Amino acid sequence: MTRSIPITAPAADSPPPPHRPVESRSRRRSRRVTAHPVAGALFVLPFFLVVVAFLIVPLGYAFWLSLSSKSLALGTRFTGIDNYVRAFTDPVLLDGLLRVVLFGLVQIPIMLGIALAGALTLDAVTTKFALAFRLIAFMPYAVPAVVGALMWGFLYSRTFGPFADLPTFVGGDPIDFFSSSLLLLSLGNIVTWAWTGYNMIILYSALQGVPREMYEAAVIDGATPVQIALRVKVPAIKQAISLAAIFTVIGTMQFFTEPAIMARFAPQISAGYTPNLYAYNQAFAYSDFHYSAALSFALGFLVFVVAYAFVFINRRRGARS
Amino acid sequence: MLGTNWLAKARMAKLGRGLAVCGLLAVAACGGATGEDSGPVRVSVWAWYPEFKGVVEAFNASHSDIQVDWTNVGTGPDQYAKLKTAFTAGKGAPDVAMVEFQQIPTFVILDGLADMGPYGANEDKDLYAEWAWSQATDGEKVYAIPVDGGPMALMYRKDLFDQHGIPVPTTWAEYADAAARIKAVDPDAYIASFGSDGGWLNGLMWQAGCRPYGYSQAKAKDEVKINLTAPECKKVVDLYGDLVDKGLMAQDKFFTADATAALDSGKYWTWAAAGWTPGYVAGSLKNTAGKWAVAPMPQWTAGADEQGDWGGSTFTVTKQAKNPQAATTVARELFGRSKAAWDIGLNKAFLYPLVKDVAADPAFTGKAYEFFNGQKVNEIFVPVSQKLGEFQYTPFQDFVFKDLNDRTAEAMSGGREWSTVLEETQKNVVAYAEKQGFKVSR
Repeated sequence: MTRSIPITAPAADSPPPPHRPVESRSRRRSRRVTAHPVAGALFVLPFFLVVVAFLIVPLGYAFWLSLSSKSLALGTRFTGIDNYVRAFTDPVLLDGLLRVVLFGLVQIPIMLGIALAGALTLDAVTTKFALAFRLIAFMPYAVPAVVGALMWGFLYSRTFGPFADLPTFVGGDPIDFFSSSLLLLSLGNIVTWAWTGYNMIILYSALQGVPREMYEAAVIDGATPVQIALRVKVPAIKQAISLAAIFTVIGTMQFFTEPAIMARFAPQISAGYTPNLYAYNQAFAYSDFHYSAALSFALGFLVFVVAYAFVFINRRRGARS
Repeated sequence: MLGTNWLAKARMAKLGRGLAVCGLLAVAACGGATGEDSGPVRVSVWAWYPEFKGVVEAFNASHSDIQVDWTNVGTGPDQYAKLKTAFTAGKGAPDVAMVEFQQIPTFVILDGLADMGPYGANEDKDLYAEWAWSQATDGEKVYAIPVDGGPMALMYRKDLFDQHGIPVPTTWAEYADAAARIKAVDPDAYIASFGSDGGWLNGLMWQAGCRPYGYSQAKAKDEVKINLTAPECKKVVDLYGDLVDKGLMAQDKFFTADATAALDSGKYWTWAAAGWTPGYVAGSLKNTAGKWAVAPMPQWTAGADEQGDWGGSTFTVTKQAKNPQAATTVARELFGRSKAAWDIGLNKAFLYPLVKDVAADPAFTGKAYEFFNGQKVNEIFVPVSQKLGEFQYTPFQDFVFKDLNDRTAEAMSGGREWSTVLEETQKNVVAYAEKQGFKVSR
């Protein structure tokens, strides 16, 4: 008997399986209004608290900050949307925005192009080499952005870097990677180095989800491997490509770490080189937290508009085809 | 002078101060009287001095009533960002913070610094170099206790100048000539680098007699003087801009690996440096150690004796200090008259002391530096510091230096005429100041 207690006891407590659906259905019907929402709320509560404490409250506080202005001599006063008017007419911010957009127009297609080519190659080649390549390609993403920027700072260096002196072998002048004409290219190279592997893995994973039968059908129809890649695989992972593109666009709009670190080597990186860097300097160098909050919100709004426009266009195009 | 007599003076001063405090603040603040369980007062300090651990240990060993808790939260701008955040938030600042001279008015206007005057800090007035004390104070209000400074002089490669028979420049005109001659004997070499450093350019302008800023909160909180376009200021930018345009001056930013390597490889022959620079760079210039020497700064007028300062720092007490009296004691005595602290400060951290007695001590002036082939370089730096006069900063110096750097960067890349750098900076700074609610005068 002693042995049977633990076995029988639970059976007595809980109803036998066949009864369960009936029981729970009746319970659901009777307690729909009371018990369920409470249980649901309890499940959501931890996440909700985190969102409120670390997203809603800081955002609300920043927005409230952005509605007043603090001048060093006059103190703080409520100014409504003045900070936003100032932001959208601030030549430093607009210059920075233009720079970032220019940067994105060149860098994003190059990076995603390389990532897509890499992913298609990885998908087509199934040797041990592919595994190793996947790992190596992903590695830069594992390097913290600050370390990556510092590392490239040294690689670009005229004294320590291997690249700056390359033209001297054919009689040219050494390259100054920090000069104003090359600076965006130098930064773009760092970003491409850091993020191509990451995007490649996203696209590669998406390719893994494409049914292999499609390729077989294409082969039977007489498609060459290149045709399969461009006409079958690429359309099949269009969703993943546009997702990667959106994340990259958002990341580019928020460009900060690399220029902030490289400013230590490159005097050409001004206080407002990118919008995010400008917002940072407003707060932590010029102590204008109010204007910095407004800049951040203005930038967030622009990112939202750009990202939404991107999704909208993509969807329209998808619907058309 | 650093002997027993000096120590005895310090002890007496401390005794006197202790009595004054007890008189002022009654029994409560007179440590121990409130109850033995409370223990010593703990004072938090933010600082990034090299070798500072020993200084803190020396302070803690010599004080039973106050103990220092030291944190290095980052160098310069990194620490200031944290301080500004803490001042804005109203909490989170340390009791005592290291602050450079050019930042003092900024933190004063942010209402972050306590006036140490009521806690007896005015007694230290005669202890420090006059220029430093005037930058640290505003009338009777003492916002900072000076620690180290950066009187400027010309570091140069004595071996190369001697070898090529180029005279060491004593005027800026000769300096420009020397720049051309250096280029002629070694096409890869430069006389120096234009280092894109706001404090450095400021020091050069100071030396040229340029006094572009004026601010005194005690007089008028919302009045500031900005005059960057005065001829004394322009001549500095014109000279250096001309050298850069002619390719006679390199463009590496100071303190980068490239700039340091160039100093150590014979690529740069001079550096208009500060009293703290030799100690700062000596460790990284292994190849050229012993080949450098120090000469007084080239002058704008032959035979003149005009000097400038680049950098230097102080201890401030924040308004958030729980015990401003104890915090003031920490700010005054971490270095101040402490022989143990200055032993470390001079011999390990290579600070240039703003305590007059320490700077005048033969142990300091007579010290021969191996890095300078035995030259007693402080014989040059000390008179410079003594010659320095009044120089004020704006309460938004970060903006000024950043804008000046951005404009010179434009000029270096060919995107701006050097002659317009200061005009543009003046325009931007005045616009900024007016937006901040200041009445701007020239």
